[in-house]
Amino acid sequence: MKSIKLLAVFAALMLVLAACTSASETTTTAAGGGEQGSLLDTVKARGTLNCGTRDAFPGFALLTDTGEHVGFDSDFCRAIAAAVLGDATKVKHVDLETADRFTALQSGQIDVLVRNTTWTAGRDGNEGATFLTVNYYDGQGMMVAADSGYTSINDMDGVIICVAKGTTTEGNAAAEAARLGLDWEVRPFDDTDLIQQAFLAGSCDGWSSDSSQLTGLRSVYPDGPESLVILPEVFSKEPLAPAVLDGDSAWAQAVNWAILATIQAEEWGITSANVDSFLSSDDSNIRKFLGGTFTDSDGNETTLDPGLGLPTDFAYQVIKQVGNYGEIFERNLAPLGLERGVNALWNDGGLMYAPPYR
Amino acid sequence: MTPPIPKSRTPFYRNVRFISWSFQLVVFAVVAAFVYWLFGNYQRNTASSGIPTNFTFLGSPASFDIPGADFEPTESVRNAYVIGVLNTLRVSIVGIILATILGILIGIGRLSKNWLVRKLSTIYVEVLRNLPLLVIITFTFLGVVLQVLPRIEDSWTPLGIMVVSNRGIGVPWYSGTSGLSLIVVFFVGVIGWWLLARWRHLVADRTGQPARAFWFGGVFFLAALVVGWIVLGGRIILPMVDGKRIAGGIRVDPSYFAVLIALVIYTASHIAEIVRGSIQAVPVGQGEAASALALSGFQRMWNVVLPQAMRIAIPPLGNQYLNLIKNSSLGAGFAYFELTQVTQVTVGNGSPAVPAFTLALTFYVVLSLITSAFVNVANRRFKLVER
Amino acid sequence: MTNAALTGRPARLWVRKNLFRTPLDAVLTVVFGSLSLYVLARLALFVFVNARWEIIERNLKLLLVGRWPADQLDVLVTSVVVLSLWGGVIAGIVAGRQIRKGTSVIAGMTPTQRLSDLGRRFGLVLGTSLLLLLLTNSSGPWLMAGLMLVGGVAGTWSGRRIGVRFLSPIVARAGILIMAAVPIATYAYMVSAVPLAQWEGFIFNLSAAAAGIILSFPLGVVLALGRRSKLKLLKMVSVVYIEFVRGSPLYVLLLLANVSLEFFVPASIAPSKVIRAMVTFTIFTAAYLAEIVRGGLQSVPRGQEEAAKALGLTPAKQMRLIVLPQALRNVIPAQIGQFISLFKDTTLAGLALGIFDLLAGAGVITQQDDFRGQGLIIEALVFVGFLFWVGSFTMSRESQRLERRLGVGTR
Repeated sequence: MKSIKLLAVFAALMLVLAACTSASETTTTAAGGGEQGSLLDTVKARGTLNCGTRDAFPGFALLTDTGEHVGFDSDFCRAIAAAVLGDATKVKHVDLETADRFTALQSGQIDVLVRNTTWTAGRDGNEGATFLTVNYYDGQGMMVAADSGYTSINDMDGVIICVAKGTTTEGNAAAEAARLGLDWEVRPFDDTDLIQQAFLAGSCDGWSSDSSQLTGLRSVYPDGPESLVILPEVFSKEPLAPAVLDGDSAWAQAVNWAILATIQAEEWGITSANVDSFLSSDDSNIRKFLGGTFTDSDGNETTLDPGLGLPTDFAYQVIKQVGNYGEIFERNLAPLGLERGVNALWNDGGLMYAPPYR
Repeated sequence: MTPPIPKSRTPFYRNVRFISWSFQLVVFAVVAAFVYWLFGNYQRNTASSGIPTNFTFLGSPASFDIPGADFEPTESVRNAYVIGVLNTLRVSIVGIILATILGILIGIGRLSKNWLVRKLSTIYVEVLRNLPLLVIITFTFLGVVLQVLPRIEDSWTPLGIMVVSNRGIGVPWYSGTSGLSLIVVFFVGVIGWWLLARWRHLVADRTGQPARAFWFGGVFFLAALVVGWIVLGGRIILPMVDGKRIAGGIRVDPSYFAVLIALVIYTASHIAEIVRGSIQAVPVGQGEAASALALSGFQRMWNVVLPQAMRIAIPPLGNQYLNLIKNSSLGAGFAYFELTQVTQVTVGNGSPAVPAFTLALTFYVVLSLITSAFVNVANRRFKLVER
Repeated sequence: MTNAALTGRPARLWVRKNLFRTPLDAVLTVVFGSLSLYVLARLALFVFVNARWEIIERNLKLLLVGRWPADQLDVLVTSVVVLSLWGGVIAGIVAGRQIRKGTSVIAGMTPTQRLSDLGRRFGLVLGTSLLLLLLTNSSGPWLMAGLMLVGGVAGTWSGRRIGVRFLSPIVARAGILIMAAVPIATYAYMVSAVPLAQWEGFIFNLSAAAAGIILSFPLGVVLALGRRSKLKLLKMVSVVYIEFVRGSPLYVLLLLANVSLEFFVPASIAPSKVIRAMVTFTIFTAAYLAEIVRGGLQSVPRGQEEAAKALGLTPAKQMRLIVLPQALRNVIPAQIGQFISLFKDTTLAGLALGIFDLLAGAGVITQQDDFRGQGLIIEALVFVGFLFWVGSFTMSRESQRLERRLGVGTR
């Protein structure tokens, strides 16, 4: 019996492999990865930014028929490129699947991950990622058909919920059902279009995802947005933040301030249209921020370099080429029907707050 | 003075056995070194990122739901794997049976005397065979399951014993008897089948009547099952619509349905070609002889041509079965929780990728080897004994 | 048989004989006839009336070449024209050799017969190309297609001139080397212009399939020889490799390559997704090719090897000069079959690795602002499926033709 012989050989191989695996636990080798230069220098030398994003996510990152990336996340990729390289077009958008986004970061395939990614402790720790300033505060919600009669997720018992695969959404839905003592059957799909078709055909009762995404999908629903209802409950916190690899604080700071600059600019009312007029602002803080000159304590005309490793005019470049936070939001998310909500500025009742630039 | 004649002994480096063994050892050493290098990298990299390399993740809670299965998110990853394996087997075995039946029918259809049947069979084979399976599954999911099947509110209930909707198909299922007594009944049936078959063959040998052992035995087997079960107090549970879902009986998941249909129609197109080739390989005289004996068209095909054709078809059929089993991994993209989907989801939830995928691959390889062992046995059993 | 049937006109007779021979036949004809009419009507209604092909029209370039940089399109055009010239030359040489040996089928055909023969073989591909060209609204693709056609015809013409001549072995060897170098040089030219990681759309499917089949060939032959070898250790390594890979689903191997390759190779050489996919395809296909080549080796009569041995050739030369050429020639159709199956399987890379291939492109374009949420995935899938079908169907028919010519299995 040839096959049986093969089976035996195979079993022996597996045993050897298992033995090797268990042996490896006793002889844990020391971690590699010695002192290396910062990604900041690498990116500057390379002249392009490899930004991990995706290609089919309405509002956040989308591939148009001309092959360009548009969306909220894509604009933040551009903002980082504008800050570091002085040119917002020097971005290579790398499309990633949900399952491989952290691997891409770990292997150095991308410099920064701006892919609608929820900041969680596990990802901060286990995946070796460092999350930076949150650029969108989201939460998971539930969308149902308007004629289903559901007004709260508490009404939904013994139902089928469709979600996207490999996201935190999947686990959240199961956890929420357990918490409320409801019996939900959670069906994960690879593709948003598949979920939509399943939902349209009445194969699922609820569609659970981040509220921002649900709003976007509702706005273009074939039967009109009024045929769908997003239930009031938001049952998880989903802070979406860019991430870089652990252990490179110079690069992390640079990326962080590129994002913070968009928030600070909105606070001061600086937009891509009027940024040039602010270069001669009476407010020396604004001039410092935009890389203009000011008189220091010794009476010299100088520019502020806080030592971030970025050009002194990085904020000017970000705002001039990409825009402030409000502009990015209006351009990409407002058309989907999303409102600022908790993503408004701190002095407007929201959570967007930038540390002082000085 | 003549020099002494050197002893004519081949130097060791020209010894054939030495050459062959040293060559082998070099090749083996290169392969081993390469594997060792990969494995060393693996150990270093996992150690530096603190990723576990063992299988302890199997014991931790799965924290995901499996639609259509009796599974809680608090159960272990190991249990999820078991369900994944069972689901792979479920779609593979049913798929193999249905694809064989459909494939044989279409293969015969390709040689039909009816022009329309012949052309339609050819179109079927040429269309399905040349499409990527992934495209076919997406079609069956979007086009068949979601478009053709009704919503749960207007589900079809044929004969009142089934429920058909795009949330699943409810099929009546048994309940109320313990597994052990069922197994006893099953074996009684099998033994009865065997005895009856023996008896029918004896009768056939003595009287020349057709044996029809299969029918006699099969009917007895089914009767034994039904009677035994009722005696043991078994009941049949009919499925029904319970609010938004199907309760009672066994629910066939819509994703299962989509994946199954796609696998069956795709594999059947390949099987049809094998069957056609095998039928054509049966000498024409066999069919003519059967006609001369005044056998009907069906008898000619079923009793004379097909048995000989299937003998030729067994090895390539086995390859198609292996392909079907492996292709069932594509169910992962369509919410069908077979082995690959379970692995993917558990890796997405933080289980270490390499051990998790190694486990899945091991299962697939073992299943393939077992299947080809079966095919080899069948091939040896049915091979024409040449005289 | 009644008199009426015998005296009926040929058409009626044909219908009688082919559609209504027996009552069962009549039932089958009616059932399947009405069913196929219904399906045909539905399909026609969809394709010509209901379907909204605008989504394909607007995204045609994205689906076919992905985000190939606009300033490098001339590289693409040059490459495909060179490749069609190359293909033409090879086809011409083959045809010329057949004429020289007197085995040519086409030599005895009238021009009209030739044309209809070519139409039957490649009409589908030409028609599809024409359809794609009609969907574009710029002149560039037309120009490219024209150049390709000219290149192909010129190549065939000159190839035949070469093929009918008897060439000295040295010239022939040099010619083979040049012909082998052309696709490699073209490939290098394309990669130097646009890195492999940016090969997307249908280009990815085509190039990944081609790379997979070509790269796996040497490995496959070595494995086949290893499996047939009398050297036990060598045989064991080959058998374990072949059986392990053949037992594994390609989709799972791709997933594994996607998430865990960086653990096995140093981070500095962790390749891009496209290379990952190509390497996985190569590893996978090699095992299948090995089995195909093994079948070919078994089909070479023992006497050939024995005769070679009697001539005093070394075992390596016996294999290289006598056995392998015959074996490989016999398995060409099976190799084309493997190529078709790999071509279709390249779609798995889109799902498993997130590569923007033709099928993944179908999912992406249905999320664009103008097309989102309108169920246009069906249109996109029909288009994608059609392209794959035309390619696979044409190749499989060519392979059947070749099989008949080579007479595989009839000896």
